[in-house]
Amino acid sequence: MPPGPIGVIANPASGKDIRRLVARAPVSADADKVAVLRRFFAGAAAAGARAICYLPGPHRLAEDALEGFAPPLQPVPLPVPFTGSALDTRNAAAACRDRGAAAVVVLGGDGTCRAAAAGWPGLPILPISTGTNNVFPLACEPTAAGAAAGLVAAGRVPIEAAAVRCPVITVEVEGEPPDLALVDAALVDGLFSGARAVWRPGELRAALVLRSDPAVTGLAAVGGMLGLAMPPAAALAFDFGEPGCAVRVPLAPGLIAPVDVRSYRPVPFGEAVEWRGPGILALDGERERRLLPGQRTRLVPSAAGPLLIEPRRALSCAARTGCFIEPLSGAPYAD
Amino acid sequence: MPLSAETLRDLHRRMLRIRLFEEEAGRLSEAGRIPGALHLYVGEEAVAAGVAAHLGPGDQVTSTHRGHGHLVAVGGDFRQMFAELFGRATGYCRGKGGSMHIADMDLGMLGANGIVGGGPPIAVGAAFSNKYRKTQNVTACFFGDGASNEGSFHEAANMAGLYRLPLIFVCENNGFGEFTRQDRHQAIRDIADRAAGYGFPGIVVDGMDAVAVYEAAGEAIARARRGEGPTLLECKTYRFFDHVGVRGMGVVYRSDDEVRAWRERDPITLLERRLAELGILDEAGAAAVREAIQAEVREAVAFAEASPFPDPAALTEDVYAS
Amino acid sequence: MTAATAQRQLPTVMAINEALRQLMREDPNVFLAGEDVALYGSVFGFSRGLLDEFGPERVVDTPISEAALVGLGVGAAATGLRPIIDIMFMDFMGVAMDQLVNQAAKMRYMFGGKARLPLTIHTMAGAGLNLAAQHSQSLEAWFCHVPGLKVVMASGPYEAKGLLIAAVRDESPVIVINHKALLGLAGPVPEEMYEIPLGQAAVVRPGTNFTIIATGRMVHESLAAAEQLREHGIDAEVIDPRSLVPLDTETLVASLRKTHRALVVHEAVRFGGFGAEIAAQLQEAAFDHLDAPIGRVGAPFSPVPFSPALEAHYVPNADRIAGEVLRLLGRAA
Repeated sequence: MPPGPIGVIANPASGKDIRRLVARAPVSADADKVAVLRRFFAGAAAAGARAICYLPGPHRLAEDALEGFAPPLQPVPLPVPFTGSALDTRNAAAACRDRGAAAVVVLGGDGTCRAAAAGWPGLPILPISTGTNNVFPLACEPTAAGAAAGLVAAGRVPIEAAAVRCPVITVEVEGEPPDLALVDAALVDGLFSGARAVWRPGELRAALVLRSDPAVTGLAAVGGMLGLAMPPAAALAFDFGEPGCAVRVPLAPGLIAPVDVRSYRPVPFGEAVEWRGPGILALDGERERRLLPGQRTRLVPSAAGPLLIEPRRALSCAARTGCFIEPLSGAPYAD
Repeated sequence: MPLSAETLRDLHRRMLRIRLFEEEAGRLSEAGRIPGALHLYVGEEAVAAGVAAHLGPGDQVTSTHRGHGHLVAVGGDFRQMFAELFGRATGYCRGKGGSMHIADMDLGMLGANGIVGGGPPIAVGAAFSNKYRKTQNVTACFFGDGASNEGSFHEAANMAGLYRLPLIFVCENNGFGEFTRQDRHQAIRDIADRAAGYGFPGIVVDGMDAVAVYEAAGEAIARARRGEGPTLLECKTYRFFDHVGVRGMGVVYRSDDEVRAWRERDPITLLERRLAELGILDEAGAAAVREAIQAEVREAVAFAEASPFPDPAALTEDVYAS
Repeated sequence: MTAATAQRQLPTVMAINEALRQLMREDPNVFLAGEDVALYGSVFGFSRGLLDEFGPERVVDTPISEAALVGLGVGAAATGLRPIIDIMFMDFMGVAMDQLVNQAAKMRYMFGGKARLPLTIHTMAGAGLNLAAQHSQSLEAWFCHVPGLKVVMASGPYEAKGLLIAAVRDESPVIVINHKALLGLAGPVPEEMYEIPLGQAAVVRPGTNFTIIATGRMVHESLAAAEQLREHGIDAEVIDPRSLVPLDTETLVASLRKTHRALVVHEAVRFGGFGAEIAAQLQEAAFDHLDAPIGRVGAPFSPVPFSPALEAHYVPNADRIAGEVLRLLGRAA
């Protein structure tokens, strides 16, 4: 990946859904998101970033956060019309690809990262958690994340040294456009996307997950709570329902609920799992798409997901080359 | 709780009742047959319907200047509503309130309100009363993005949070305070963010999606009934018509493209499409519901127009309780 | 203060307290809400002990939020309760004007008589304690101008109790105004509950040849003025309307028919004050009986000043009242 601009996608809707009522999820107010972005920009500017291609919108998250950073940062609004839905995130990621972004910082949770990856499969993503379930985003101080993105964007650290390739589930829906998931896909009972989040364990029918971790929230915790390690180069498929083994799982922050696990099995990368409607397809914790009775969906896990930029990797790499030592002659990190 | 077909048809019917009532009221107003100003609810039906579907006897609603939808949603009687809009003695308010003060105390609908921000303090009182009388009742306080800038809203929210009142603040954020776009009347976009300042949850929901509102309102109301205090439910919605009257397009304060984009997400069309897909309500079924409501509208308008105007002697009646 | 049984003396503050206590014992739907009315017992002390007896559900400390506080009363009254809402200083009603004027006052009428609003707003008016322009006003005229509100003003402990009980039992919103400088004033107060019917004036001092109509604290200044006037051979009748809305015009007119001369006295600013309404009604009803223009004494057209030296000039007193009577009679003071 050659150096290029930093893409900024901050989802104003993240951290505001019904899980503040049905669980105990924290609120992520717009003001908090602006503050996160300002810290990110401080790190990015100091590390040598220049062009910032951001998703504009009436919430003015990136716009407000960029105030005072230009120069050295150069704000470039992405030509994405505002719809107020996940489509904006998706379109913004595609626009970042068109502009050759070297790194795309995404503020949100798993759902937001998924939407970004849907717009640009394989994107170099640096996710910062402002969402509800944050399995995919990293817990990282935004200042450090900004510095990492800045180093990559300025060409000071090669992307290969800063990032790892993540797995992905590609989702084919019979007769409809494809989709993907970065952490989990699930089939749930119901007729509507409604308030979108998944929090009622009784509605879960099946899931395909790429993570197994007892220390996270959402479906990735199911395998974790069963003590399952992720098999190499494979996903885990679960069937839910009675009679099954009731596993207590944190489905959302502050919400621990028994999930009836009937069976599970590894699904090697490249192999498909097939589900049939009726039901709702939930991707990365959000009820996204309805399946009509009999309508089929094929889910295929693979290794070809986004490039996940890990700030610690990027910063360590830069540190080894002396990047952070102030040169005698003047401004740090000058090109 | 999975949604039953009955619940879905009920949501649809509530929305369609509002839509057809409002469209007829708009026509009558433009034709000069209804006096005064009308603030029509068209476009925002999913909000009133999704909330009202959870309300029952003893619950209350405080409303806004855009109040017909709230009254229809809780079961308002078309005859008395139209008669009130026509200023007749048979109206809900005997012709003394009109559109902006339409009320049905028996249904717990504590009045549309001509004052932006007038409702929240009253909702606090009603919710206090529910708690005081040891009922399980809740109060739904509808208000707009404009009202969220009134001091009365903030006072009320603080008090509701302090006393953990059984109250849900339902913000109908239609993007405009009268004719002023939200970005010109407040520095924030999500009014739900304000709840944190008062110690209760605030969430954002798609106000064009009746099922999304229904789910969220159900959780908020259940929480209130359990004694866990208020919730701020911000529903992102849109006013298809103008602040007052019908027009709505070809205006200076918003673009026709914007209106068209929102109309693409017409909450009634969205639900009808999905209900048809699910086989819960096919086209013929929806047409039958529509025709039945339209007949009710026609009958109510005829009743209203045939009703007498109030007697001048009524002018000074009911200033005080006798 | 005519009841023969009223041997017991109570200061006004305790008369209010007793009325509140008896009202809350009488009706479980009565509650008191206001700023510092519960734990602190009100900054004026009139609600002391009520929290202990009735608990925090019925004696409610509220945030300093007058609009929501009055709204609390409106919503609770409309849904079956009988709230007593205390607005600490009458001046603070400015914050709550929408709820008072557009909501409480109009709800019943706007809804075609279908709303019931047994709401009492209790407040303290008046100058004399060097509290300056925002804690000393007498704003009763504002509310008298709004159909749907009743307005009463107490001139002492007997009135404070009787008016408050009548107000709370009334089915319409009533604003009960006490005067903060009268709270320590003691007088006979019956122990049992009694009402002073809203719309019934009291002839406080019968007289034959001059009528002084005075409200609140000015009743006492007028009584003192009447004593001064006796030396001038004037036997003034002093009338306390007690209730401004509804107004007992009949009693006032009857007095005027007898004395043929009248002066209206209030502490509020004279210009646009309620005295103008009384004067107008008297001349409409009894013009032929008038032997002199109807006079008015009130505060000058200025905010209430702070300095004791200025405030003493601001608030009308017995000397000014007596002087105005003499002037109306064409006699030098």
